Amino acid sequence: MILILSIIFFILLILIGKYRGFKTFIIFYSNLLLILLYIISMSFGFNAIINAIIICILASMLTLFGLNGVNVKTKASFKSIMIILIIMFLLTFIICRNANIQGFSTESIESIGGYSFDLNYNMTDLFIGMYLVCVIGTIIDTSISISSALNEVYLNNKDLNKKELYESGMNIGKDILNTTINTLFFALVTTFIGFMMWHSKANIGYIINYKSFAQEIIKLLLCFISSTLIIPITSYIAAIDLLKKNN
Amino acid sequence: MNKKIVIKYLIMFIISISIIVFVYNDYFLYDKSILHIDKIEESYVVDETTKEKYITQNITGTIKNGEYKGKKAKLINYTTTSGVFDEQIHKNSELFIDINGNLDNITNLNEVKRDKYLALLLVLFIDLIIIVAKKKSFKLLLSLFINIIVSYLSIIYFSKHTNTNMLLLYMIVSIIFITSSLFIANGKSKKTLAAILSSIASLFISFFLVYLVIKLYKHPISYWTLDYIEAVHDYKNFFYVTVLLSGLGAIMDISITIASSLSELIEKDPKIKLKALRKSGEEICKDIIGTMSNVMLYTCFTSIIPMTFLIIKNGITLGNAIVRYGEIELIVVLTSCISIVLAIPISLFISLKVLRGNKK
Repeated sequence: MILILSIIFFILLILIGKYRGFKTFIIFYSNLLLILLYIISMSFGFNAIINAIIICILASMLTLFGLNGVNVKTKASFKSIMIILIIMFLLTFIICRNANIQGFSTESIESIGGYSFDLNYNMTDLFIGMYLVCVIGTIIDTSISISSALNEVYLNNKDLNKKELYESGMNIGKDILNTTINTLFFALVTTFIGFMMWHSKANIGYIINYKSFAQEIIKLLLCFISSTLIIPITSYIAAIDLLKKNN
Repeated sequence: MNKKIVIKYLIMFIISISIIVFVYNDYFLYDKSILHIDKIEESYVVDETTKEKYITQNITGTIKNGEYKGKKAKLINYTTTSGVFDEQIHKNSELFIDINGNLDNITNLNEVKRDKYLALLLVLFIDLIIIVAKKKSFKLLLSLFINIIVSYLSIIYFSKHTNTNMLLLYMIVSIIFITSSLFIANGKSKKTLAAILSSIASLFISFFLVYLVIKLYKHPISYWTLDYIEAVHDYKNFFYVTVLLSGLGAIMDISITIASSLSELIEKDPKIKLKALRKSGEEICKDIIGTMSNVMLYTCFTSIIPMTFLIIKNGITLGNAIVRYGEIELIVVLTSCISIVLAIPISLFISLKVLRGNKK
């Protein structure tokens, strides 16, 4: 099944994107391998958070430099991704440590009941790592969109100063934000539909404190927050870098 | 910065803080008793073979609401270092408990009070949106709000009329999603019309393509690994609904990008050649596909991590774990990627028809 769908994806990419489509395909599967690598290295006992940060750095290098080449745009994006990773790490760490959202809740007891729970591995760390890996896709997407658009703006109008460049970066970001939030919302909405159908008779007070609901909401909100926060950061860094390179 | 902006942000800040303070103290809203943890005494035993720590937590806390408000209560909690299916309680956490008369020995621990963390993130998100998107933030939050309401109503409708065809219901709902989101974001214009039509067309064409592939290629799909699938009687259709909705946002992204860039090009030069239009539309989108497919991959596929990790640790190989728990997510991700790519020619075709009319 997966093979057939991959072949369709490949053919369509080649038809529409030609050489770039081929590159996209390679990078997509390398990213998939990265996620699998992440799971394997955790199962060998490596710390999930450090692991996640390494995977995030590799993923952004792969997608930025592999897909778009090494240049001012991608370098500026890379820097801003590193900054936002630190911020998101702190935020995720605080929330996950306090909200007790590690592990599984009672719905999954049937599917995990047969397994041993004595993993000798901290599940809180695993969830922090998972959230970091989860948000990296949307961070890269938003960041590269802004820095390339800002580069175009600068090439067309070289008289702009730092503040004006930053402002136009923010303007581009506003337009992107709407569609990004839609993309993320629909990518994750079916889990909520399933959840609500499962708990259709429960009251709201019960639902909003429920573990698996909290896990999903936190995931969605972290994706939203990171894709919003990356806009000013990338605009600022790209504005500085573009001016620095040409002076 | 002028005075008006300072005042605006100050008001926003005060509202945010008061919401968070409210949720941190909303004990009176709950019927269940809430226990605030004051003190924890821990002791543990280490299992020789698994090296897992079995921790016993002797917890003392104060009850925050209901008839026992202000009274002390004691509770014993058993937990492990992994915490796969148990809760390691921290100091200052708050728990929902059942009280059966004896405050010194509460056995029933329900859930941790998590609403405050959700509120914290939600307020943070809304504030960030307002700061970053300024005037556009209202439209953005409105369209998000409408999408949430529509999904909620659809769930209510479905749980009352369980005999409805779920797939059909969500096909109609997805048209509502597309129309409302694009209309709110872009207003009434030809551009919006083009984007709406091309989103609907791309959604259904790519969905039926995948539907056909799944039907023709009679490979047994392990539907049961999809989250919450047991909740729905009609589990196959729930899977198709997941496939249908997951790529929806991405498709809308592609179609609005194409529609707005084409309408901009036509506005600047009404005599522009068809071929040139098509070429620049394609160029714009080639950049999007790469990062967009990664967004879908990272946001959707990471949800398999806890499950696959658990079963790999239980001695199952990675390959088997992926086949068991990753297949369905990967199908969903690949389908959305296919619909993203397919959306490009379809949107180009429809946008050109709508925006240029019958001109050659």
